[in-house]
Amino acid sequence: MTTISADGLFLKRGGATLLAGLSLSLGPASSVAVIGPNGAGKSMLLKTLAGIETPTAGRVCVGDHDLALLSSAARARQIGYLPQHFEPHWDLRVAELVRLGAERMGHQARDAADRAIARFGLGLLCARRWSTLSGGERARVLLAMVLAVDPPALLADEPAASLDIRHRIDVVQALVARATDRLSVVVMHDLDLTFRFFDNVIVMDAGRIVAHGRAQNVFDDLRLDSAFGVRFERLKTPYGGLLRPK
Amino acid sequence: MKVWLGLVLILAGAAVVAACAGHEWASPVDLARALAGDGSLRSRLLVEWRMPRVLAAALVGVLLGLGGAVFQGVFRNPLAEPYLLGSAGGAALGATVALLVPLGLSQSLLLPALAFAGAWGATVLVIGVSRVAGAVDAAGMLLAGVAVAAVLGALRSFVMLALSDETVSLQIVLSWVLGGVQTPTWPILGLLAVLSAACLGLTLLFARGLDMIGLGEVMATAFGLDVNRFVALAVLAGSVVVAAAVAFGGLVAFVGLAAPHIARWLVGPMHRPLLPASALVGASIVTIADAIARAALPPSEIPLGLVTAVAGGPFFVLLLAHRLRT
Repeated sequence: MTTISADGLFLKRGGATLLAGLSLSLGPASSVAVIGPNGAGKSMLLKTLAGIETPTAGRVCVGDHDLALLSSAARARQIGYLPQHFEPHWDLRVAELVRLGAERMGHQARDAADRAIARFGLGLLCARRWSTLSGGERARVLLAMVLAVDPPALLADEPAASLDIRHRIDVVQALVARATDRLSVVVMHDLDLTFRFFDNVIVMDAGRIVAHGRAQNVFDDLRLDSAFGVRFERLKTPYGGLLRPK
Repeated sequence: MKVWLGLVLILAGAAVVAACAGHEWASPVDLARALAGDGSLRSRLLVEWRMPRVLAAALVGVLLGLGGAVFQGVFRNPLAEPYLLGSAGGAALGATVALLVPLGLSQSLLLPALAFAGAWGATVLVIGVSRVAGAVDAAGMLLAGVAVAAVLGALRSFVMLALSDETVSLQIVLSWVLGGVQTPTWPILGLLAVLSAACLGLTLLFARGLDMIGLGEVMATAFGLDVNRFVALAVLAGSVVVAAAVAFGGLVAFVGLAAPHIARWLVGPMHRPLLPASALVGASIVTIADAIARAALPPSEIPLGLVTAVAGGPFFVLLLAHRLRT
């Protein structure tokens, strides 16, 4: 049983090939990190899987359904998407933002918003406006907005890249924790956190998947070195493997 | 709750002051006597002429406030204004045709009808042009709006040059373009009231989508909004509202820009409260501006659009200063 699958995805924009014939199949309950050098196509893969970008060729399936044939509302209930950058155009309050995230639940939106606010400890921030929040608070609000409706699949694009280490771990843990019964696909920059927390790792380079497997296996795979264009020294520690560029 | 009560009280106060103001000033007692139905000429003039005019001004303000809030929401730009997508140019062309082309129909009906058709038609044309050009997003629509406005402006200049040899008719066109609420009969006022209520209901249907699109197109898409379809529908609806305002009030400057701003300060940026608040603020502004237009230089009347533009300029500067400080 797969939650999301892609078959022969091509994405071309303005003469550039961003995804070059990519296929994958992701199971219902797993945490998957997507890593690769800048420009490898990680963000575009996520946007295409989320239905935000339309592929030039190939197709994405959610469960048994072709993503292109699903209505926008049905798609939004199946797939959550956490963007790399989020900046609302109006200076909304935290409670209003979470409520908008929960609107996909229809008439249960209010309950879903309340649960998300409790779960992410936002009670004291409810009346605050977005512009007054710190980076860590913003990350929590964004998680609460997207996870207010906990969809079968969540696609997150480097949500923690600009946070300090404590907040980064919090966000990654929140995304991995839900993967005991759902799918979390997360574009990651921090390789140490990737191999410490995720079950599966996808390595991308030049619009293709060059390695995909269990985290331990990918850790030892030399294709990781060639994708990033560095040779890694692999250190074993009590907390898992560490990669150090030679 | 306090804010809403305040807004309603301000509008009511503005309406009373506006009903008193005019070439001949009336007192609130005169108004009460006129409403009670004493048959004097003065009372009949108040009931037949001034009160419908005041209410029409308020309703034009309602429409401008709603239209402005919709357009600022769709384009996520606090400086967007309701005439953005060609509706001003289209309305002006329609009004010019109504005023200058001898069509043999009553002008009191023809003028609002053609102004409405021009305003709405221009926006439909803008959406069509942006679709044909393959630029269906907000930026593409804005560019198409500039293109359509340029062509309509040229057409209107041609119609004016070709059809008027006496300066008088050109002056009629000019004074219409500068804006002004026509004094309606009570049945037409009823029509305008029904129209305004319908426009409030229509725009409220878009409130949730406007909130969503305010999160950015990517987030709105991720949250299940079909962004391109929504933008086209919201613009069509917003332009109906603006076209109705133009048909009854001419091209009134700045209200559609300023009313949503003031409303956002009062009730915040969520559209379900913002739309009605913007309508109330717009109504108060146009009611007062129309009173000034009627009463400032008796016996002549200043075009309403000039009053709002003169007041709007300083408001704009204040707004810029406020934005720079925050």
